[in-house]
Amino acid sequence: MSQTTEQSASRAPTASKVILQAQGLAKHFVMGESVIHVLKGVDLAVREGEFVAIEGRSGSGKSTLLHIMGALDDADSGTLMFDGRDLLGASGRERSRIRNTEFGFVFQFYHLLPELNVTENVLISAMVQHGWLAYMRQRAQLRQRAKDILAELGLGHRLRHRPQQLSGGERQRVAIARALMNQPKVLFADEPTGNLDSETGRQIMDVLETLHREHKQTIIMVTHDRALAREADRVLVLNNGRLEKAQ
Amino acid sequence: MYKLHLILKYLRKRRIAWVSLAAVMLCTTMVLVVISVMGGWLRMFTASFQGLSGEVIVSARYPSGFPYYQEMAERIEQLPGVGPGGVVPVIRTFGLINIGNLKGDGVQVIGYPIDRIGAVNAFPQSLWRQHKRYLEALDKGELTETERYALGLKQREGERWPSFVPPLETEEKATPLTDAERRRLQELAEQGLANPSYALPYPDLVYETAARFASPRAPDAYVKSAPRWAGMIAGIGVIEIHRDERGRLIGRSDDLYQLPVKLTVMAIDPGGVTVDLRNKSERPYWIVDDSHTGVWQYDANTVYVPFEILQQDLNMAGVPDATDEAGNPAPVPPRTSELHIRVADGHDMNAVRDQVRSIVLEVYRQHGMSERTAPNVQTWRDTQAVFLNAIEKEKLLVTILFCIISLVAVFLIFCIFYMIVVEKTRDIGIIKAVGATREGVASIFLGYGLAIGLVGAGLGLLLAWLIVSNINELHAWLGRVFHLQIWDPQVYAFDTIPSTMDPVEVAWIMAVAVVSSVLGSLIPALRAASLEPIEALRYE
Repeated sequence: MSQTTEQSASRAPTASKVILQAQGLAKHFVMGESVIHVLKGVDLAVREGEFVAIEGRSGSGKSTLLHIMGALDDADSGTLMFDGRDLLGASGRERSRIRNTEFGFVFQFYHLLPELNVTENVLISAMVQHGWLAYMRQRAQLRQRAKDILAELGLGHRLRHRPQQLSGGERQRVAIARALMNQPKVLFADEPTGNLDSETGRQIMDVLETLHREHKQTIIMVTHDRALAREADRVLVLNNGRLEKAQ
Repeated sequence: MYKLHLILKYLRKRRIAWVSLAAVMLCTTMVLVVISVMGGWLRMFTASFQGLSGEVIVSARYPSGFPYYQEMAERIEQLPGVGPGGVVPVIRTFGLINIGNLKGDGVQVIGYPIDRIGAVNAFPQSLWRQHKRYLEALDKGELTETERYALGLKQREGERWPSFVPPLETEEKATPLTDAERRRLQELAEQGLANPSYALPYPDLVYETAARFASPRAPDAYVKSAPRWAGMIAGIGVIEIHRDERGRLIGRSDDLYQLPVKLTVMAIDPGGVTVDLRNKSERPYWIVDDSHTGVWQYDANTVYVPFEILQQDLNMAGVPDATDEAGNPAPVPPRTSELHIRVADGHDMNAVRDQVRSIVLEVYRQHGMSERTAPNVQTWRDTQAVFLNAIEKEKLLVTILFCIISLVAVFLIFCIFYMIVVEKTRDIGIIKAVGATREGVASIFLGYGLAIGLVGAGLGLLLAWLIVSNINELHAWLGRVFHLQIWDPQVYAFDTIPSTMDPVEVAWIMAVAVVSSVLGSLIPALRAASLEPIEALRYE
């Protein structure tokens, strides 16, 4: 397995700059009377174009770490720099803007909006990015881009379908398309195959790998599946609140 | 862009929101209909009662009237707020009528100097034969040949008089009015308005009809005197013109204007309030026109006769050459029941009332009469104050009641929106995860509330407009089907339910409906905005 990691590591773009850097990230949760320290000083540097997998047992805090790095959650302490900007100290509005334009998210449970069709679900991040006038001006191009991404992900025939009319794998591909719509610098994937059967999970992993390989997409993925994690450039294990290199 | 997109999607897809939309719509309709009917009633009341009297009224304290009214009128006309022709005497009494031996009734008798009354009130506008029928024909836009003859737009060869109402069996095809006919009708309507009269429309006719009613004892005298009889204008209810179940006025026929009427009035001794049966006056009249003021109390039991004739019959005309017991001249001045005064535009009604009051008291003093017996001087508003204030208070009360009911709609919207926010918690997380700000999320739900308010209030306005504009037909339908009579003209003074909407009131109610909807969605919107994205995404 370590061989695989080394092989993967060899694919890592070591010369590229660090795009996301976490230092001493800590987070605790209060559950009733007990306090659970999930993260106890996590250090991590992710380079542009790198595919990093964070592995860990269920409840180890890997999703929490991903959410903090993705500006979806706050840390108790530590620093988090994205492209030279302090993410933890940024205003809510700035964090929203970064989530919209610089980050893309793929969740275990897809999280698509049930009232919108496939194309609209993909376009939602573009709609958030642009005001009404700007959106209407670029509507044709944006729709075309959404269609292109969906076609590339094999969903060209599902454009007007609603999420509930799609299979799990298709839904996850729509979620990936939504995450890619605004050309994010970092794609966060939280157990992207966790809700899929192994074959469909394999297909989703192929999509992520293709993105990484062909489009040099920076990906940070958390998973509890060691085999899937091994497909990343670098595999880290979250253990007892700290990140360690995979054995 | 996403806000508008999601608002429209939620509006279309979330059927639960339609319940709040229906609540807003029904509340808006309910308030609009009630306020329109109440407000319309108040406006109609104000317009009609103002139209029935002068703006300032001098009215006697006794049924026998008050003297020296001509002197008062001359002086009042010199006031800058009145001007020449702005004072008209009116006599008001009660009498018994016998209409062509077909109907007998007790009526209110009003003596109007018909040529002058138009200067102080809108009575001439209520006259059918001399004014209204031309306007109605104009409104109709098309007439049959018979109707053209009836309205005097055409003359038949050799015809002595045209009948003024086409025979019922006529089934002629109506053709549109020509421009010349329109002009002529407008001219005739204006003529009637400017020169109302008690004149017999077709004097030739009366010889024939009078003969039918002539006393067997002296038929010749009766028939010979017939053309000299005075004219009477009857309220539509007196001559049984009434509304059918569709709200149309029916019952006007040629015969109406060919019936002799006997009016009996009793003079009242000016020295007191006793009735002397020897002072009974019976006089035959012709009905020359009918009046539809819209005010039920007037239309149902009032007849209008020439002022001088009524004054004479009531012994109110005075005796200029009377002498006292010692043989010295002691002229008895003529009396009237009321003076109706028009206040010129731009003058304060209350100020004119006070000036008129001073003149009245001064005239009484000059003639050595007690000021205590001087007539009352009031504005038309004063005379109707009890009624007007009661309606205004009732309207306010109803508005408050409906505002409280509307709070239920706000609460309903709050509950439904809260439910939607709870149900959509994960979606809120998704929207935030893709970059929506707190303000953005709050504005989705506020915008959703606004959209529901706008659509609900808009539909409510449409429904209210449909109800209000067809309220009399609806009322007639309820009467036909369920035998329900909600609007009793005896109680509400008018024979039709007001059916106008005041744009200012409509704008206010719509604004309150929209603001209420936004308020109802405010707390749920703030809750949605305050959700942390990751908490929302984790929500089960």
